[in-house]
Amino acid sequence: MSLSRRRFAGILLGSGAALAAAGLPRGSAGGEGEASLVVQAVSPLLRRAGDDIPATAAREFLDRAMLALTGKGGRGQAWGSLFSPSETVGVKLSCLPGPRLSSSRALTAAIVEGLLAAGLPRRNIIVWERSSRELENAGYRISRSGLRTMGTDELPGGGYDGPVTESGSVGTIFSRIMDEVDALVSVPVLKDHDLAGVSISLKNMYGAIFNPNKFHANRCDPFVADLCRHPQVRGKLRLSVCDASRVQAHNGPAYFPRYAAEYGGLLVSRDPVALDFCGWAIVDGLRRGMGLPSLAASGREPSYIRTAGGMGLGQADGRRIRRLEL
Amino acid sequence: MKRRAFLTRAGGAALAAPLLLRPAGSAAAAPQPRGREAAYYEKLPDQKVVCRLCPHQCQVADLERGTCGVRENRGGTYYTLVYGQPCAVHVDPVEKKPLFHYYPGSQAYSLATAGCNFTCRFCQNWEISQRRPEQVRWIDMPPADVVRRARAGGCRLVAHTYGEPVIFFEYMRDCAALGREQGVPNVMISNGFIEKAPMRELCRHLGAVKIDLKAFTETFYAEQCGGRLKPVLDTLLTVRAEGTWLEVVVLLIPGLNDGREEIERMCRWLVRELGRDVPLHFSRFVPTFMMKNIPPTPPATLHGARRIAMDAGVRFCYVGNLLSDAEHTFCPACGKVLLRRLMYSVENAGLKDGRCRFCGEEIPGVFS
Repeated sequence: MSLSRRRFAGILLGSGAALAAAGLPRGSAGGEGEASLVVQAVSPLLRRAGDDIPATAAREFLDRAMLALTGKGGRGQAWGSLFSPSETVGVKLSCLPGPRLSSSRALTAAIVEGLLAAGLPRRNIIVWERSSRELENAGYRISRSGLRTMGTDELPGGGYDGPVTESGSVGTIFSRIMDEVDALVSVPVLKDHDLAGVSISLKNMYGAIFNPNKFHANRCDPFVADLCRHPQVRGKLRLSVCDASRVQAHNGPAYFPRYAAEYGGLLVSRDPVALDFCGWAIVDGLRRGMGLPSLAASGREPSYIRTAGGMGLGQADGRRIRRLEL
Repeated sequence: MKRRAFLTRAGGAALAAPLLLRPAGSAAAAPQPRGREAAYYEKLPDQKVVCRLCPHQCQVADLERGTCGVRENRGGTYYTLVYGQPCAVHVDPVEKKPLFHYYPGSQAYSLATAGCNFTCRFCQNWEISQRRPEQVRWIDMPPADVVRRARAGGCRLVAHTYGEPVIFFEYMRDCAALGREQGVPNVMISNGFIEKAPMRELCRHLGAVKIDLKAFTETFYAEQCGGRLKPVLDTLLTVRAEGTWLEVVVLLIPGLNDGREEIERMCRWLVRELGRDVPLHFSRFVPTFMMKNIPPTPPATLHGARRIAMDAGVRFCYVGNLLSDAEHTFCPACGKVLLRRLMYSVENAGLKDGRCRFCGEEIPGVFS
């Protein structure tokens, strides 16, 4: 599948009306600042065949999303507008639920291709998670040199031997991988979370600290936001690529087929708050279709997203989010 | 005992600490923790569980862990990940716990696993307590080995300490049951944040319990510890009611929990609810972990708190983490020194068969 530039522009123009009826949650916390762009694709081509998205579809849709997001004309330019060849970039996956609901390997490969196209040497890319075991369970092969694919636990001292640091309500130690990288790509899976409401890009950063179990009270609010305003995250999280090929609409974060939707989606944004806001709307929409109450009605509204918006980490006001459907 | 002899013994105790297992150097060096089905939890629909061990009552979805970080839901069954897997093992004087009225002068085979159900910003052992099992190097030590090693090492007792033993409940319980059978009593050094039923079960096996009463306000527990005061007070009542030997420690932190009115209320409650004979220790705070901006507790504050406690009726009140005469055990009747302490060394100066040898006053505790 390929897409001409003209056809691509047409899609962009035609997508606005559909977005207006998206039924997104009404937000108010992030009322200041410029609108944020969230690029969204939904296609049967992005549905998982077995446990993964077809590689061609992952690459094509990610390319289109990145062009739309950056306004650039090619893959290398698009990725190069966000990441420079001299930087080390961490690609933070979400692999807790195993192969059926972890960050797509094909999508991750497409992200790596984008970074390489931007001129990054392979050794400057780290695909990572909390532990190598989680990566392996999700079907990734561990590599400790060159283009690294590894868990924090591969590092000396268990990977969490840095200083104790605080950000609001969060006191923690970051993975040493966070010290090594200049920039981050967060690659969450769109899913319901029993305690947080949803777990998308912002909460994916819980995998970067040594004590995430301490921060699940009160639906993770304000803990997720406090963590993401720490300079280690805020200064580095440059792109979020959300795998919504299969969405866990209820009973997450583990994979439960009964509540999993073969959604065939992809969300890309530079604003993790806006992306989470849009992801939340998708989860609520799917829940509606399953006859389930909304997250808010279930007492699990992911209020940390609005809190993050209120802290200026991004847009949590639906009126200030530009949603662009491919 | 002369001062030189005191210091020699104290130095020996410090050198005896043989093993603190450090965080893993690599994945290969840190085998994944095993799982053993946990006690005190209920299964919920959709493979969720609710933990009934501590008052957090964590509801845990599949693949997730409770606040403690060491109990994990795997497909609707709740597992402890630290059974028989201590990450810290030392031989300590029992005075270090501190337990002053329980086999004074004896050695305690002391161990801990990773994890805690609190997040105390001033935790002295945060490198153990705030980590998850896979982030530390642990050794395989089932309960039978614990008791055997304690005996082989000349230890009178086993202490579950350093981190928070509540979160390795099953391991502690089994060690304590075995130790009781074999004449090696176990003691729990704890924050007391545990539900009544598991605490009562533990009391059937434990020889003594020391509870850290962090403060006497809910605000302090919420803001500094991530816990609640009321359940800890309930635990004190439970342990006392069960007849297990109990001592209480309060770490006084300048400006946070050292107000006169708060200490008075605390002491009045302790005397009213637990009686006058439960030893009370006021410990000196030293800056650490996430509380490095507060100076150490002034000695005057500690001695002032001790005076408040004695005025409230506490018969045995000590000052810890500070060299002073307030480490000694005095006879509450005649005022003579019965047990003279310096750091972790102790000299019997007047205690005989659990009584003051000067006036015959009975001294509560377990001394032989």
